[in-house]
Amino acid sequence: MAIFDSPARVFLAATALRLIFLVYGGWQDAHSTVKYTDIDYMVFTDAARYVAKGESPYTRDTYRYTPLLAWMLLPTAWEGATPWSTLTFAFGKALFALSDVLAGWLVVQLLVRCYQFPVERALRYVSAVWLWNPMVANISTRGSSEGLLGVLVAALLWATLTKKPVLAGLILGLAVHFKIYPFIYGVSILWWWDAERDGSVTTGSGLLSKALGFITPSRVKFTVAALASFVALNLVMYLQHGQPFLHHTFFHHLTRIDHRHNFSPYSTLLYLSAAGGAETRFEALAFLPQLILVVVALPLVLAKKSLTTTMLAQTFTFVTFNKVCTSQYFLWYLILLPFYLPSSSLIRKPALGISAAILWIAGQALWLHQGYNLEFLGLSSFVPGLFLAGLFFFAVNVWILGIIVRDGGDGAGEITTALK
Amino acid sequence: MKRRITFIQSVNASFDPEQAVLTTSSLSVRDIDAAREDRITVGLDELPEELRAVLEQSHELHLRWASERSFDAVVPFSSRVSPGLHVHYTPLGSESSSEALCTLLRTIVAPSKDAQYKNCSKQEDAFITPPLLSTRFGSSAALQYYTRLPSIQPLVKYIHNTVCDQSRTGGRECHTRADALLSADSVDIDYDSTSHALTVSGLWASSPTGGWTDKFQRPASADDQVEFGLLGAEAGLEPEEIKMGGLLAVVGEDEKLKPTMFSFPSRHQSLTEPSSYTVSFASPTGLHPTMSISMPRSSLKRPTAPDDTTCGLHTYLTLPSVIFGDQYQLATTDPLFLESHNLLALQALAGEMDLEAPDWVVQRWGSNWLFELATPPELEETANTPDSSNWTATIPLHLRYLPPSETGHRTAYIPWPVVFWACTSEDSTKMSVNPFDRTHLGWDSLFGPRTLFYQLQPTGDRLVEEIDVPVLRLEGEEGYFQGKYIELGTCAVISLGFIWVLWRLARVAWSSGVGSKPVETAHDKKE
Repeated sequence: MAIFDSPARVFLAATALRLIFLVYGGWQDAHSTVKYTDIDYMVFTDAARYVAKGESPYTRDTYRYTPLLAWMLLPTAWEGATPWSTLTFAFGKALFALSDVLAGWLVVQLLVRCYQFPVERALRYVSAVWLWNPMVANISTRGSSEGLLGVLVAALLWATLTKKPVLAGLILGLAVHFKIYPFIYGVSILWWWDAERDGSVTTGSGLLSKALGFITPSRVKFTVAALASFVALNLVMYLQHGQPFLHHTFFHHLTRIDHRHNFSPYSTLLYLSAAGGAETRFEALAFLPQLILVVVALPLVLAKKSLTTTMLAQTFTFVTFNKVCTSQYFLWYLILLPFYLPSSSLIRKPALGISAAILWIAGQALWLHQGYNLEFLGLSSFVPGLFLAGLFFFAVNVWILGIIVRDGGDGAGEITTALK
Repeated sequence: MKRRITFIQSVNASFDPEQAVLTTSSLSVRDIDAAREDRITVGLDELPEELRAVLEQSHELHLRWASERSFDAVVPFSSRVSPGLHVHYTPLGSESSSEALCTLLRTIVAPSKDAQYKNCSKQEDAFITPPLLSTRFGSSAALQYYTRLPSIQPLVKYIHNTVCDQSRTGGRECHTRADALLSADSVDIDYDSTSHALTVSGLWASSPTGGWTDKFQRPASADDQVEFGLLGAEAGLEPEEIKMGGLLAVVGEDEKLKPTMFSFPSRHQSLTEPSSYTVSFASPTGLHPTMSISMPRSSLKRPTAPDDTTCGLHTYLTLPSVIFGDQYQLATTDPLFLESHNLLALQALAGEMDLEAPDWVVQRWGSNWLFELATPPELEETANTPDSSNWTATIPLHLRYLPPSETGHRTAYIPWPVVFWACTSEDSTKMSVNPFDRTHLGWDSLFGPRTLFYQLQPTGDRLVEEIDVPVLRLEGEEGYFQGKYIELGTCAVISLGFIWVLWRLARVAWSSGVGSKPVETAHDKKE
């Protein structure tokens, strides 16, 4: 296809797609009671309006994000006449959409520079998964901030794979400040960045020299930069907004009950135990399988074989084993797919890939059907419907995860040649 | 103690002088077809110690109870509240917070085990703060509470056990009068620290079969008084006035019934044309029920209020904690949303606004919402066919999660909201000269003191909607649906998943270590 010969055309098309979505969204908002704009975007813009008035963004209920987000969206709070106010209102969406395109561009750069992909092949994969994916364009133009996470993760990878430890650390600190989960990437990157990748060769093989050998300049720079940016950002926000900042951005996620139905295999159990009906406190240990895999086992076994596949497996595991899971979480691993898919057994063996896709979609469909029965028909579908659907979806995800792990062990998504 | 009995006869009701006979010691009525209000005012020192303790901590305390039965509200008793018990309370000192009121409430509500009753140990727990739109009028209490209360049996029992025991008028009459409240359509209890008196009013909107037959004795003590009135009401000369005429007497003082005629401004007015509404939830309600308020279009004529007033159709919702509105969704100014629901604006809201919490975590009783409703565009008088279709306003709401149950469902009881016209005027009419004035209804304080209210009539067998809330189904020892299966099942599946991923990782580590050089050939034959 000729269009993939030219990066300019691919990115123009991606931008045009988002522009169309933006304009259409504005039209739908103005002409239908079913709004295109995401409810979360109303939360962000309300918060931005409070900030513009010199108040705390946490004055808005359910604003559970860093104040940075409200500050970034300050232009949406600018008052103006009708055409002007429509434009300012869309500022945040445009920003998220732009971040999307930038994230895609970074991934293409990495595939070409570090993975030796021909430009055309890189564009093909990134377009299919991300740039031209209508779901991605839809989510960011509806005003969901997940698009920002995409660009942060892509930038983190870019800085890492092009060996810029300080920049990578700074980006990681920012990403964790934004949304806690990217801290999992820190572990993989640290383990991956050994002396060999720094270009020096380890001397000696004693335990002490191995331990000392672990401390490489890059690892130190990366860690210090990450901690510095994370601490600095939180300190600034804490000084600005005090306890509400800490509560809404971080502690809320530790104390929330999460009794409402969602894709997580834990959701029925959490409802049961929140209502005081559980005999054991098994869910209190839910973080153990999740964190053991994500923070210890996956990075340790896979990170040096394939960093991007490890990060994908980590994200996949984090989402699959999490106590809450909604569809926006699925976006988290989408940005990492272009690195993994080209050499994965899901593509090499179409039967396997298609089976995985069908099972995953079937898991979703089963759950959504039960969810619809509950939410809209008022049927009591918690047990066995939602309960079993949640466990089945979990099983499918775990099976796919097993495939990713095996591929990662085989070096899928690994850099073939070291960067000059 | 002061007692006031008022019978209100409709204009076309028959009356024969023989039906009300006054002697020096008593007044007897026979077969009177009328609405009736009994009001008893008791001094603080005449009350039992337990009740006095609560009142002495109160700056003001107003209880409003309305039956779940539908009833016709007659002038001058035309104001309404949603069925259930409403408590409006202002403590005397801001720091005083005792458990006495909560204990009293629990006694007079006597909730059953299954009732979604929001208990309080201190009033800050379960009470909400009404919106302070009109503090300058001082017409709103500081704290407010509501609970469903289909019958006031426990309140009557409380009166039997405490007030009657101490009553100087003797036990039997006190018991009879308390029992009479059981058939009342609405009951008001008022106390404020300036008057130091407790007033209990019962309203019966219509007479029992065969009419009222009763005998009112002259009080035994000279401090006590029994006032009697047999009246009819009609519109006054001014639009804000009510004119009443009939017979009055003070039992034991007056020798004969005195004919009388008087008029006064009244904030609660009646609509000249019959007007009604019904409330329903579209089925299936799911977790996001939508409340529909339907009115025949013919009901929606602007009331005959003074010309200089601005009138708006309003509804005031009393939502128990299980059901709630999203304030951000409902406070929108988006004309598309408002038009599609026939709403004009959300005017006021108060109470529990949490969008995420399950019901068992919420401590406060719920929330109140005042909406201004849209009215159909004025039809040309020349329109040849009268439009008989209904005009419906809808309010999208959401349900909270309730605790698990054996059936997988629980019932939520949603009282019908009140629907009324509010006409505000700049005029300086003083409404409080009205001997039948009624305030502290929750919604009245959201308007200025000169506002005239015209209630629409709720028509239905029962003014409470029941919603089936789906919950987690948990059976006892015998059933399939047990908590331990959920616990074990979740635990087993997560553990298996965890072990599977670890096993996959172990195989990778086994064949190629944890280093950076993957062994190319290791897995080919296994795939």
